[in-house]
Amino acid sequence: MDTLVTIQVVAKRPERAEKAIDRAFAEIKRLGDLLNFYSEESELAKINRSAGISDVKVSPETLDLIEKAVSTSGKTGGTFDVTIGPEIILWDFAEKKKPDDGTIKERLNLVNYQWIAIDREKSTISLMKRGMLIDLGGIAKGYIADRAVEELKREGIVSGLVAVAGDIRAFGDKPDGRPWRVGIRNPRQSGRDDEIMAMIELKDMAISTAGDYERFFIADGNRYHHILDPKTGYPAKASRSVSVIAREGAFTDSYSTAVFILGPEKGLEVLRKMGFEGLIVDEHGKVHTTDGLRDRIEFKRLDS
Amino acid sequence: MSLKDSIRSTTVADRILLIFLLFISFFSLLLTKEVLSRSKEVSIEVDGEVRYIYPLDTDRKVYVEGSHGHLTVEIKDRGVRVTDSSCPNKLCQRQGWVRAGAIICIPGRISVTVGGSEKSKGVTPDAITG
Repeated sequence: MDTLVTIQVVAKRPERAEKAIDRAFAEIKRLGDLLNFYSEESELAKINRSAGISDVKVSPETLDLIEKAVSTSGKTGGTFDVTIGPEIILWDFAEKKKPDDGTIKERLNLVNYQWIAIDREKSTISLMKRGMLIDLGGIAKGYIADRAVEELKREGIVSGLVAVAGDIRAFGDKPDGRPWRVGIRNPRQSGRDDEIMAMIELKDMAISTAGDYERFFIADGNRYHHILDPKTGYPAKASRSVSVIAREGAFTDSYSTAVFILGPEKGLEVLRKMGFEGLIVDEHGKVHTTDGLRDRIEFKRLDS
Repeated sequence: MSLKDSIRSTTVADRILLIFLLFISFFSLLLTKEVLSRSKEVSIEVDGEVRYIYPLDTDRKVYVEGSHGHLTVEIKDRGVRVTDSSCPNKLCQRQGWVRAGAIICIPGRISVTVGGSEKSKGVTPDAITG
């Protein structure tokens, strides 16, 4: 997995901390190998290769994760959709080339989470249409952070933080008795890297952020980024950045993408319905937050 | 009015209040002690990244392995020293006990700092999302 992962734990003895961290990294690697979109060997690649042909027997984790993905799809009216794969592969952000409009439109026929068949009994998954592709990019990192935390807890760790890129899950308190503090990146950095727009304390919670600045290029005055709207196949325009806070990383990861696409109005409605907290920087740079977050978030002065 | 008289003239409510106030001051003393002793910590950085953070008030020895060398840190009686180091000049060892400030092993790229870390002061976050 080409992602920066950091793990911090609180333990009485360093050997205990190191052992737990090693176990968590091993679990992260195992899951990364199962769920890697770009590796021929992964379970995900097997599911994708068998699209429209046969069902594929998968490990409980792959099944669990795809079930969670489908649940987010269902609750957001398909705004989050892991079957976006055929559209994703059209975009090459390194080459800075926009795909052909006709192809984007054509491939929408392959995007629909309702064509994922999950059989819990047999532990199989199948894609009903040939050419369909599942891309777990919008949910796997959060899920992997969840599993790494489970692994740390199994090792007897009572406090720690796992960050799989920007998908972060924290549990317990730090040695000074305070909760873990997470900075939210400013989507329009005014210069230095890692400029933070807000700070939030997390205890037994996860946070994820979806932003239009991670992978993007600018052409003809338009910003083309990696968060594609499954209804159009084009990058979503309603937001610059969305952070979601909930108990599970799988949900913060997938809902941050969904809310990003929905924009502030509908996005906040979904968060309220789910009982999640969130912060949305809309397309104009205006910040919207859920009611529960207002007192818990500390904004930094922004120059932009 | 003598002390005896004034004690005699107190009501039950006065006495409850007195006990309550004593109780409060006693516990705030404990609380302050607890909070203050927590505030200091030892942070050990390897190659510019925080590897370990330890409370200063718990005695222990820590072996630190970096990519350019290793050393052993001893925390005792709210002080810190390096007892053993792989570096050639042993400047870090010669620095002796430190109660504030830092011990820096340049060849090993390891530093040991006493005092609240930037993270514990909340200046820098523990992680960044986005």
